[in-house]
Amino acid sequence: MANQEAGENPIKSEGDIVTCRKLIRNAAVAAGFGMTDVTRIVTAVSELARNVYVHSGSDGVMRWEILHQPGQIGIHLEFEDYGKGIPDVDQAMEVGFTTAGTMGMGLSGVKRLMDDINIKSEVGVGTTITVEKWGRAK
Amino acid sequence: MNHSHSNSKYISNFNSWAEQKRFVNFTDEDAALLQKLHPFAVDYADVFVEKLYEHLQKFPDTKRFLGDEKMLMRLKLAQKAYFMDLTSGDYGEGYFKSRIKVGIAHQRIGLPPRIYMSTYCYYMQLMIPQIYSNPTFDVETANGIFSALHKIINLDQELAISAYIHATDEVISRQTEEILEMSTPVIQIWEGVVAAPIIGMLDSGRTQQFMERLLETIVQTNSPVALIDITGVPQIDTATAQHLIDTINAVKLLGSQVIITGVRPVIAQTLVHLGIDLSGIITRPTMALGLKVALDKLSIKVVDVSKE
Repeated sequence: MANQEAGENPIKSEGDIVTCRKLIRNAAVAAGFGMTDVTRIVTAVSELARNVYVHSGSDGVMRWEILHQPGQIGIHLEFEDYGKGIPDVDQAMEVGFTTAGTMGMGLSGVKRLMDDINIKSEVGVGTTITVEKWGRAK
Repeated sequence: MNHSHSNSKYISNFNSWAEQKRFVNFTDEDAALLQKLHPFAVDYADVFVEKLYEHLQKFPDTKRFLGDEKMLMRLKLAQKAYFMDLTSGDYGEGYFKSRIKVGIAHQRIGLPPRIYMSTYCYYMQLMIPQIYSNPTFDVETANGIFSALHKIINLDQELAISAYIHATDEVISRQTEEILEMSTPVIQIWEGVVAAPIIGMLDSGRTQQFMERLLETIVQTNSPVALIDITGVPQIDTATAQHLIDTINAVKLLGSQVIITGVRPVIAQTLVHLGIDLSGIITRPTMALGLKVALDKLSIKVVDVSKE
């Protein structure tokens, strides 16, 4: 698998979550993120990709882009699905809130793992979650 | 892992093939047109087969699939039968089944789809001039026959390629199950202590397997302590953590205790960030330290005899 600065991967099966993690791990390592950040980023990818697969009830896609700024590297990730949507985004961000009998820590956890999280959701239309993480360039 | 691999998502059943026929617009008229070609196909089948195999034998890559003289004879006979089938006018269930069988047989002997496909191309090169030079067909009929032949060949190719993919898919699915079986060994490392090193991510399919095996081994070996080593787990998300906690709770119900070992610093950090609470669980950074805890619990003392 080539290490790309940008790309996308479909999320249709549990196997796709594995591919997403692998793609982002490779991209983040190649971009120069430290191992702690790589693990944080990949964990966030795992959460968000699983969200698409388990919760949305539809297919989805992950897109990524490596960002460059003087002295800094960043990664921008977008998870889009065309599923049932999140009725109350603030509530979904609360620790322990779940509709699927899971831990309910995914989204709030992702917020702590990453620098920035943005959720756009419309019931019946779908959800797009974007996250960013910045690190010092090597 | 779901079981999408084990069912035949690629291989068509006869109903879906009927749908496929509609998709390529293969009609009764096409069947009738092909039948017009049949007397000709019967007359020339032997010539065609000879020419085709002469061509195939020119390529070392292809030649090695043709085998010895006896095998070659069998192949030629099968090929001849197929050429006749193509223009028989009957494209029902029998035709459908034999196409699938051919696809599977090709896959089994390892014939690349490339050769299978190209053979059609050569067949068409032999066939087209014959259709258009046949004095009994006017241009319109010849065009119709050409189109019908193109459609039936496309249908045949689709079936054979699907059979190829299906067969390969079966292999992958079998291997996936084998990997699942192998990837989570549970071993007794001391009287009363079992250890389970996890390599890779714990997804729901693996968790089920892993939990079953761990619980079975604990009961079989009568072990009060189980070490679950996560050195080989690249990252833990909330789903993986939940699987681990479920496993730990199941072990507790058997009256045994779990020690999580191999907790690397980065994993510890992400777990804290994710807000996952493992405070009720004994964790150690290495399996060696975990084993020490286990032996303490069993009141076992290991001594260095050289220092006594």
